[in-house]
Amino acid sequence: MTLKRVRVLMMKEWREAFKGGKTIWIGTVAVPFILLGVSLFQLFQFGDFDRVNPEELSRVVGALFLVPLLYFLMFPLVIPHSIAIYAIMSEKEQKSLEPLLATPLRTEELFVGKALASILPAVGITWMAFALFVGVVWFLLPPMVLEVAWQQFGAIWLMALGLFAPLAAAFMTFASMTIATRVSDLRTAQLLSSFAMLPVLLSAFFLVFQHLLGRPMLLGLLALGIFVLDLGLVWLNVKLFGREEILTRWR
Amino acid sequence: MIIAEHLTRRFGDRVAVENLSLEIAEGEVFGFLGPNGAGKTTTVRMLAGLLAPTAGRAIVAGVDVCAEPQRVRLLVGILTEHPGLYEKLSAWHNLKFYGDLYNLPNPEAQIEKYLNLLGLWERRFEPVGTFSKGMKQKLAIARALLHEPKVLFLDEPTSGLDPESAKTVRDFIAQLASEKRTIFLCTHNLYEAEQLCTRIGLIKQRLIKVGSPQQLKRELYGRQIVIDLKEPISLSEDLQLPFVRNVQANGTRLLIQLDDPEAQNPVLIKRLVELGAQIQFVREHDRSLEEVYLELISEEKP
Ligand SMILES: Nc1ncnc2c1ncn2[C@@H]1O[C@H](COP(=O)(O)OP(=O)(O)OP(=O)(O)O)[C@@H](O)[C@H]1O
Ligand SMILES: [Mg+2]
Repeated sequence: MTLKRVRVLMMKEWREAFKGGKTIWIGTVAVPFILLGVSLFQLFQFGDFDRVNPEELSRVVGALFLVPLLYFLMFPLVIPHSIAIYAIMSEKEQKSLEPLLATPLRTEELFVGKALASILPAVGITWMAFALFVGVVWFLLPPMVLEVAWQQFGAIWLMALGLFAPLAAAFMTFASMTIATRVSDLRTAQLLSSFAMLPVLLSAFFLVFQHLLGRPMLLGLLALGIFVLDLGLVWLNVKLFGREEILTRWR
Repeated sequence: MIIAEHLTRRFGDRVAVENLSLEIAEGEVFGFLGPNGAGKTTTVRMLAGLLAPTAGRAIVAGVDVCAEPQRVRLLVGILTEHPGLYEKLSAWHNLKFYGDLYNLPNPEAQIEKYLNLLGLWERRFEPVGTFSKGMKQKLAIARALLHEPKVLFLDEPTSGLDPESAKTVRDFIAQLASEKRTIFLCTHNLYEAEQLCTRIGLIKQRLIKVGSPQQLKRELYGRQIVIDLKEPISLSEDLQLPFVRNVQANGTRLLIQLDDPEAQNPVLIKRLVELGAQIQFVREHDRSLEEVYLELISEEKP
């Protein structure tokens, strides 16, 4: 496997996907930042944090920072949904796999390039959204807001962004790619991949609402479960990404 | 350049290519003809290191296709049945992507060379989706040539093109052949095969016949002379020439089958004149490759 070919393929994916029309932009960039903007707006709507007493502040921060946390769990799942499906479906539709496979590109490079083209933006955009969110809060709101938020959310943020985001992005990418190789039309692929996303998303949300703030390790456990799923999907994809398999059975 | 030995490929129970043995020398343009589903594309895929044969082996550009398909792919170029271009990317980005996959030292120079040769340079930054079918086909040919392959597989390069674009592509293939590249050309266009190919192979699962267009015609029909007369003559009495195999008279036209017209024609004509024939024209009857093709394919029972 050569990194150069993986990188070349990845750049091609991005160029193609982002020229592919508005849907990819909306799904991967616009929607996350609009949602985040709305949450920030609500924070500013609250008014003067200096006037509330510490107990009240802790309650208010807990409520106002909850929704953005859900977003940081959601983005790594939603973003690959559009990129990963596109990466496979567009090759199939344009019948460009055969000339591609006639080059020295190895099938494992094909798989890794396509997967990274979806995982990297998913994790990157999630992290950027988080950095933007924390930055705005830090610059524009009184310092104690972030302090209180860190006490309540610090551990879960680390868990969500450091562990959950990459593993969940990988899961959603592999699942979408597997589905896209098997299915012949875009809508079916999108529908099935949404079905794959829901259980993970709902478990994450459930943990947040039920226990999480006290016990961030539960999210770590969920991430571990996803990691096991990731391994299974990689194993499956190694079989699906044979040259022979792609040429004769991808429809 | 290309050696195939007992090459066979099955898909489940269906045999796509059976026991194909071939040898193609460097610089040859080899035409591969056969009806739909005859196994042409499957053969090309095996020879270009894309599909593994079920049985048999092949050496292409000196490399064993089964043992080192990756190296074969580096050395050969292939124009696939569908151009398979990225419609949203520009011509330039399509080629740049492939140039980088082949790790070319100077991809820009190669891209410029072939886009210029094929008349696409002016439109290099336009998305391929806006190109006509002929332009797409040319771009796909440029893509197959970027890494200067020694062996080039062309799977129906002119199918679906208008006569003018088809001619441009054909002229380009002729030019490539003059550069000593080995070209393996699948086509349904018999005129094209006759124009371009040094040898032709007929396939229908199995290889039916191989030979130069001339050989194929002669083998099937022998050689035939057409003689046009001013007035019909009656050949009631035999010509009394042992080498004449068959005479058909049709008004003022005689069709005579000979083995060696170069040597036998003078004798034949002398005899005809003696018999009172007033000869206007003598020429060899050139059968179209189409007749040969249809004859051979229909003989072959599936
Ligand atoms: N992936 C596949 N799975 C099953 N059968 C296949 C596959 N590819 C080709 N075949 C079968 O192999 C046979 C040869 O097909 P191939 O595409 O090589 O023919 P061809 O000579 O290129 O035809 P055409 O002139 O239509 O392009 C056909 O019967 C076809 O159905
Ligand atoms: Mg074909």
